[in-house]
Parts: sequence; structure tokens; C-alpha cells
Amino acid sequence: MSKRILPLLVTLAVLLLLPALLQAMGSGYLFRVSITAMIFVILAASLNFITGVAGLLSLGHAAFYGIGAYTAALLATQHGVPFLLTIPLAGVAAAIGGVLVALPTMRLVSIYFAVATLGMGEIIYGTLLNWVDFTRGPMGIPAIPSFKAFGIDLSGNLGSYLVVAVVMLASLWVLHRLTHSYYGNALRALREDDQCADSMGIDVVRLKGEVFAIACFFAGIAGSLWAHTTGYISPNDFRFGESILVLAMIVVGGLGSLPGAVIGAVLLIVLPEALRPVGDVRMIVVGCVMFFSILLLPKGLFGEVSALNLVRSFFGGGWKAGSARQSVGWR
Amino acid sequence: MFDAFFIQQLVNGFSVGLVYALIAIGFTLIFGVLNVVNFAHGEVYMVGAYAGVVLITALAPPLIAVVLFVMAVGAVAGFGLERLAFKPFRRFQDEASLKSKAMREATLLSSLAVSIIVREVVEKVFGGAMRPVPFEAQLTDPVQIGELSFSTGQFVIFGAAVAMFAGLQFLLYRTRIGLSIRAVANNPLGAKYVGINTDRTIIATFVVGSVMGAVAGILVALYYGSVFPTMGFAPGVKAFVAMVMGGLSSIPGAVICAIFLGLAEAVATEFLAQGWSELIAYGFLLLTLIFFPTGLFGGARDRV
Repeated sequence: MSKRILPLLVTLAVLLLLPALLQAMGSGYLFRVSITAMIFVILAASLNFITGVAGLLSLGHAAFYGIGAYTAALLATQHGVPFLLTIPLAGVAAAIGGVLVALPTMRLVSIYFAVATLGMGEIIYGTLLNWVDFTRGPMGIPAIPSFKAFGIDLSGNLGSYLVVAVVMLASLWVLHRLTHSYYGNALRALREDDQCADSMGIDVVRLKGEVFAIACFFAGIAGSLWAHTTGYISPNDFRFGESILVLAMIVVGGLGSLPGAVIGAVLLIVLPEALRPVGDVRMIVVGCVMFFSILLLPKGLFGEVSALNLVRSFFGGGWKAGSARQSVGWR
Repeated sequence: MFDAFFIQQLVNGFSVGLVYALIAIGFTLIFGVLNVVNFAHGEVYMVGAYAGVVLITALAPPLIAVVLFVMAVGAVAGFGLERLAFKPFRRFQDEASLKSKAMREATLLSSLAVSIIVREVVEKVFGGAMRPVPFEAQLTDPVQIGELSFSTGQFVIFGAAVAMFAGLQFLLYRTRIGLSIRAVANNPLGAKYVGINTDRTIIATFVVGSVMGAVAGILVALYYGSVFPTMGFAPGVKAFVAMVMGGLSSIPGAVICAIFLGLAEAVATEFLAQGWSELIAYGFLLLTLIFFPTGLFGGARDRV
């Protein structure tokens, strides 16, 4: 059972050790930073699923994050829907948005696809900004309730932390199972050469649609967590800059590597905060980290190959060595 | 419908379209030669505008000196950008890595990273707020022709754009460096085989493209009367849209589409609120990509 030890340790550290530590330090600021980091871990992991694993460069990811956040915020403030429902509903709304974006752009490849997602992202941002009757436009949505429902009060620092942590671990687990499976292998084939994958019998169009739906679902969930934990959202949280920040995270971590996406997200959220005493150089640091990691570590901090090896040795039940059939992942 | 106000809007749209065209030419040249998108192009535009404004504030020289200075700054910016964000990723010259997706995306992301750094550094140095251009230098004096009133800025933009288009045509079709730019754009490996210094050609392309982008920046700054660190983003994206609509490597296509976008935005303000008309460009982009996936003026291209 030694193979199961790493996932167990990670879960314990995230759910018990870290919150205990933060609680002991009693700092709301540190809680805030770790919640933001965990939300961006979900975002980075979901973008990694599209861009890293399936190779579709998406420059509009923040828009789906925004759809999720606005869905959750509007449902919670105007209809009083509890957070247990708003979180999945936000995911579903973003997934529908993702499919609607994916349908017309399906035929496009490489740079054309990237441009189309950029355009879609800007359209969604513009809609959030200009549809004042529905989204309150640039004024944003204030007073979004925190995690409080059915008599359970999780609105404090610790409560919010635990909710976000549980959702993050669940999302990571689902994305991990999808990435490191036959399904993930099909996506990697799609990334390397979609015409070749097509000729091998992989349904490229269906797969692209599914990838978009799944990744946008998780982006929407991240958005709903953001809305509930900050209590106030405005369209500026979901601009092109955020898309680029998330892209930088997965590039720094290593395209196609799920642990890399997690490392990249934590690094790019925590590093600027740690440098706060030096001055507000957040985006300069992001830019420099991105530039030097592409230049010096083109594969990322934790490249895809090492990620797959790690998964094989610690997480892969279907990859047991010595089994009669040569397994390459879960069915 | 065709009242004076409408024609006024069309003229305004036309000058905005010319600015987009100047930026789009830079994009198109660089894409043609390297087959990668230069995401830092909007920052060259912004740097050009800032350089011009700093010079005007310090010395208040005549317009032509400002434009020449901005051209020089643009050339340096283009050279530096190429060395910093593009050259290190051309380490591998074999055909496999030239065609590799990973290499191309690395360049795209490195130019994006450089653009973030440049923008943030400018914001740190000059502040994030709008910085007004000294009033004497602004090109906003009204010129009354019949019922219509134009501003001097529109004439300057028109004149400068025509001069730069003519200069570009001359450069591309009448000079040796233009010949080598066209050769590299046509087939980089073939150009190398016949003895063209591709490295120098690429630098020349960046310099030419960036000069046009920087001049567009200062013209817009004088026309609208202010500069700000994020000014490069929206025109950059729209020029990019124009390039994609024009078919990625066709300069006339990019220019026509850029002017069309400028006109469409101006006309849209007739019917839509300001915020919504900003989205027109993206709407056209999607329509083009869906119905003409290789752009309106692009020849038959390989899938890239």
C-alpha cells in the first residue's frame, strides 16, 4: 500500500496540517492568500486540460471563470440559492458557455483557434461589462453571501478554506483520472497530430467539445468559489490579463503536467505576495518568471514526462508493474 | 441616413482604420517571415507613443522631428524585441523543430511575457494613469470643410499612413532587403539555401514592422491627446483581428480589413452604445473564422 501514501499525505496536508498552521498564526491575510492560490490551482488545472493535454491553446479562459462567478453571484444574491447548489450550477453554466464557444471554433487549428478563443473571451468580458441590467456592469455585484446553508455556517476563514480545499481536491482528482487514462491518451494523440488521431479512429470533434465542456465546468466552479469567498465581483476580475496569468502558471509548471499546473499556480500566487514588501511588482514578477522559465526550462518546472512517471508510481492503480497485460492507464 | 454626422463618423472610422492598418502591417510582416505571432506588437505601439510624448514634454520639437525620433525608438524596440523574445528560440534550425508546435508556442508565450514586462515597467515608471499630451502638440485643431469638421490629426494620420504604405511598397519591391524579406516569407529554408542571411532579414522585418507600429502609436497619442500603459492592448488586438481576417500573410488584405474594422466600429456607434461597439471587431473575427477559416484574402494555406 506504499503506493497510496503520497496522495494520502497530500490530502492530509491540505485538509489538516495547513489550516491548523494558518489557524495557529491567526492571520486572515494568509487564509486569503491560500484560498486564492487554491482557486487558481483549479483554474490552472482546468486550463492545463485544454491547452496542455489536448493542445488547444485557449486565450480566453478567464471568461468561463467569469461566467461561473456571475452565475453563482446572481443566483445567490437575487434568488437566495444556497452555495451547495450555486457551485455546481456555476460549473454547468460555464460548461454550456464552453460548448457554445467550442462548436463554431471546432474546425480551427493552432493560432486560428487561439485567436478565436481570445475573441470569445473579449466578447464575454464585454457582455459582462455592458449588459448593465443583468450584471450591473462595471459596478459589479456586491454582498455575495459566503458559504452558509442549511444551518451550516462555513463563512469564517477556516470554513471557507475547508470548502475551497475540498472542492479543489475533488476537481484535481477528477482531472487527474481524466488526464491519466485512456481518455487522456486520446487527448494527447489529438495534441500531437489531430489528423493522424482522426485517421486512427479518434472522434476529434467530439473530443474537442468534451474537453472544452469539462475544463470550462471546472473554471466555472473556480469562479463560483471566487465569488463566494470575496463577496464582491466585477468584470475586471475576468479580463484578458487573468487568462494570461493562468496560462503563465501552466507554462511555468509544465504544459501537460497536472502536478506542474498546481506548482505553477501556487508559485505565481504566493511569489508576488511574498514580494509585497519590495513593492507592487506582481505582474513584472509574473512576466519575468514566465519569460525565464520558457527560456531556461522549456519543459516547465515539472515537465510532462516526470509528471507521468510520478503518476505511474504513486497514483496509478491501473499501471501496476508485473500485471499480465501491459496497462497504459485506466479504461 | 447620409447626413453630415454620418459622413463625419465614416471619416473618423477611416482614420482609426488607418491606424489599425499600420499596426496590422507589422503583425503581418513578422508573421510572414517567422510564422509566429508577435504578441508584444501592441507594446511597441505604446512605447512609441510614450517616447514621443516624453520628447515633446522635454523639448517641444516640430512634428516631423517627433515622428523621426519615434521611428528610431521603434527600430530599436523592434531590434531588442527580436533579440530578447525571438532569437533565443531559433537555436534549433533543423526542419523538425521549425515545424514543431512546441517551438512556435514557446515564441508566442515569450513575446507575451516580454509584453507584460514592458507594460508593467512603463506603468511603474510613468504611472498607470492617463498622461496628457502637452496641449500645443495635440493635433486636435478643427478644420471646417462645408458642414463637416475634421481635425488636423486626421489629415496627419492620413498623410503619414499613405507615406508609410508607399515606403513599404518601395522597400518590399524595389530594394534588396525587401527581396530577401519576401524570399524568407515565401520559404525560409529555401532562402537560406540561396545564400540569404535569414537572421539579418528577420531583424530587418522586426525593425520595419515596429517602426510602423511606433509611428501609429505617436499619431494616435497626438490625435486623442493622451497616453496610458495599456493603450496598446485594444488596437493591438484589433490589428491582430485584421491580420487574421486578411489571411495572416497578405498585407493588402490586412490593410483592407483594418480599414473595414475602423469603419464598422464608427458606424456601429450610430446604433449601439459605446461599450457594445467595441465588440464589433470580435464579432467580425468569429464570422470570418467560421465561414472563411483561412481569412478573406489568404491564398490556399497549409494547415498550420
